[in-house]
Amino acid sequence: MRTLTLAALLLALPPALAQKGKKLSDEEFVTARPAVGDVIPDVSVFDQSGKELKTSSLRGHYTVLTFGCLT
Amino acid sequence: MHRDYKAKGVKFFFIYKTLAHPELAGGYVQPFTLAERLAHARQGEKQLGASIPWIVDAMDNRLKRALGDRPNSEYILDPKGKVIRKRAWSHPGLVRKDLEELVGKVDKITREEDLKLAFVPPVKAAAPRGVVPRVQRRGMQALLAEPRVEPKGHPFFAKLRAEGDADLFTEGEGKLYLGFHVDPFHRAHWNNLTPPLRFTLEAAEGVKFEKVEREAAKVKAASDADPREFLLDVKEWPEGKPLKLTVVYSACVGEESCHVVKQSYTLHLKRDRDGGGARGAGAGFWGEEQFAKQLLGRSKRGDKLAEDEVRGLVRPHFRHFDTNKDGFLDLDELKAVARWLNGHHAPGAMPPRK
Repeated sequence: MRTLTLAALLLALPPALAQKGKKLSDEEFVTARPAVGDVIPDVSVFDQSGKELKTSSLRGHYTVLTFGCLT
Repeated sequence: MHRDYKAKGVKFFFIYKTLAHPELAGGYVQPFTLAERLAHARQGEKQLGASIPWIVDAMDNRLKRALGDRPNSEYILDPKGKVIRKRAWSHPGLVRKDLEELVGKVDKITREEDLKLAFVPPVKAAAPRGVVPRVQRRGMQALLAEPRVEPKGHPFFAKLRAEGDADLFTEGEGKLYLGFHVDPFHRAHWNNLTPPLRFTLEAAEGVKFEKVEREAAKVKAASDADPREFLLDVKEWPEGKPLKLTVVYSACVGEESCHVVKQSYTLHLKRDRDGGGARGAGAGFWGEEQFAKQLLGRSKRGDKLAEDEVRGLVRPHFRHFDTNKDGFLDLDELKAVARWLNGHHAPGAMPPRK
């Protein structure tokens, strides 16, 4: 019963917490949340001028998102 | 692709995140404030020369966490915000195929040479580098060091990069790297006409830890932009307790604006999952032979790597690097991969041609 409760709790956690500390392989990453079919989490970030924007505003069109940095 | 599919209503965004490889090109260091990260994103826009807009992650890296904590992952969302494609590593060729499927082909594909992108070089150091020998610290990992940012204080002209070896993280006894790296974005350099940088490292009152005090070696040149580095042997990090580091240094912005700065950090004995892996003169580049042999470790054959055994940034360019067209990457071909990886962040560095 304890194992079942723990598993149920993990499934209920936000994806980031459930995966905290574990580096996923490329294959695991693809199937981890948010997976294909999931709506991406609504997070407040910024545009390049520093104005706050929410990821939920990325709707109404197809969107390509690519992570990157200077180095 | 952006030019081709923008006309079809597809939106593209780069998401600016924490640096994956501090020091690799331009001597960049992790920003401490949102204003600094925004400056990074603006520089990224200039260095790439692309017109794709940037989304900038918050300083708690919430978007990177929410979308899987990878350095170069890629998502395609449908108009309702649902994930319809997801890759651990960006693959422009596959994105084009996806968009052809989703919104249709374009009449004429724009090539890279059609874009006439205008690149700028990395931000230049404000003073000579290569003056002070670098500390060698291979195989160490970023340790969590929280700067104490004062709203009305000086910027962190020099930023602490803390790293620990495996023994330090697991046993509390091992090597601790403390590097104070001049941030090129502040156009600052060391003022070597004043006393050198010095720091103290101590625990809170009542916590057992032998206080450490160090001063950097005096440098003859009036100014330079090399990091001031220390490799300490920590005998016993107090279990579960942070350490406080206070540093005093003199930095100048230009010729006349010089400041004596006192700043502090809280160090925690845990890996900084957002610290990235430093690549530089002290931390080590991907040496050609070492890297090639490391990759060959994935090979079932042992002497060559098949396409499905290649990961990450290299995968989209497999056929380019397979110069003898035998369907594998051998040691010499993997050395070419290593040379490309060491230079691919440089502005104007085009992807390998197909």
